[in-house]
Amino acid sequence: MTRLPGAASLAAMIAARSPEIAAVDLARCDRCGLCLPLCPPAAIRLGSVDLLIDAGACTGCRKCIAPCPVGALRMGLRA
Amino acid sequence: MPDVDVLVVGAGPGGCIAAREAARAAPELAVLLIERDPAVGVPVRCAEGVGDAGLREFADPTDASWVSRRISRVIFIAPDDTEVPVAERDVGWILDRSRFDACLAAEAAASGAVVRTGVAASGMDRVGERWAVTLQGPGTGGREETVRARVVIGADGVETMVGRWAGLDTRVPARDMESCAQDLLAGIAFDPDAIYLQFSDRDAPGGYAWLFPKGLGVANVGLGVVALRARGRTARQYLDAWIARRYPAGTRLGTTVGGVIVHPTVRRAFTDGVLLVGDAAHMVNPLSGGGIVNAMKSGRLAGRAAAAAIRAGDISAARLASYQRDWMTLLGDDHLKYYAIKRALERCDDEFFNALARTVNRIAPAKRTLGRIFAHALVRHPQLLAVAARFFV
Repeated sequence: MTRLPGAASLAAMIAARSPEIAAVDLARCDRCGLCLPLCPPAAIRLGSVDLLIDAGACTGCRKCIAPCPVGALRMGLRA
Repeated sequence: MPDVDVLVVGAGPGGCIAAREAARAAPELAVLLIERDPAVGVPVRCAEGVGDAGLREFADPTDASWVSRRISRVIFIAPDDTEVPVAERDVGWILDRSRFDACLAAEAAASGAVVRTGVAASGMDRVGERWAVTLQGPGTGGREETVRARVVIGADGVETMVGRWAGLDTRVPARDMESCAQDLLAGIAFDPDAIYLQFSDRDAPGGYAWLFPKGLGVANVGLGVVALRARGRTARQYLDAWIARRYPAGTRLGTTVGGVIVHPTVRRAFTDGVLLVGDAAHMVNPLSGGGIVNAMKSGRLAGRAAAAAIRAGDISAARLASYQRDWMTLLGDDHLKYYAIKRALERCDDEFFNALARTVNRIAPAKRTLGRIFAHALVRHPQLLAVAARFFV
């Protein structure tokens, strides 16, 4: 019997296809946390001194890019 | 692995009141309040304005060290810079949040809660009837600690992770996220007893620009925009333009940015052994963007609900659902109405606000109340009537 993929693996499949993911310019980022609740897969975390984006979880949806108050988030090629 | 009864994550106003109220309601319980930053209250990511009546439910502002200014007037600024002063009784206060939050944390401690700073929650898992929460940061000496809590109160703000770890949906749609920037400006001219609010698509699309006095010639000057309407410019860029136009002589003493969630309360701010308060549960007034008193009111409900649930030996979601019901009755249902008004106001253009300002300025200042202003807005914009009917009837 073929099993349908679950939501998590579907997200991973979409993520794997996106050539671009979000990247943070730490020189601009103020670590305000505004982008965290905008991120559907919760791929962004506040570290103790920086902002961390989980490249494996980011789906490249761009929802975090425009709202950043200081323009610290950009799309970049998946490494 | 140490055990606590209540773990409160985040020592802002909501978290401090939650810890204080849980400790007061049930002195036999172990209450731990943790703050990610090394000091409670800083950095300040807030315009610091608060209404008089709401504040007084929690703290007395008379001669308090944490008050920056008492406010007795609101001055609305139309898009064409027409000023509309509105005198309301007991408008409110501009706080010094660094001192205010520290005082609230000290009260929580005096009530029996343990307060730890420089300690962040970095994950949590359900283990039996408790949540095992991982703690780390300078306050743990660099070591990873695990604390097991019967109830976790997530007061961790806009960026809440407690909600997500607990499986609650705290995501925000882009149209309901205000991107904000604020400078502390010195050497500018304004009425130090008034707050200024400018509604204008040119200056702050989807939000508004503000000046909140901190002292004579010194003020929090900021604005919020909704990115979807911001024509590709950031909040920081809009603020630079607004300051260049209105306060070009100001000296910048400080700057901050952040998000304000102008969305109604999350559908579920609770689950087994978890409650969310304040910004983490989207309990900000969606029309004004004000969140300090809301956070404290929800923190009071959550602290007492947690204490009562633990005493009763039932911390299940079914029991904690009463917290959500109590919040909706207290303010959450009102926020749904404010949200509808906000959405209706989004359809009003700059010309509407310019015309409204001219009309309202013909009312004698002593008779100029928000109710009368709204009545005039209705005459000019009948589509607001449907919203008003739902609001008042």
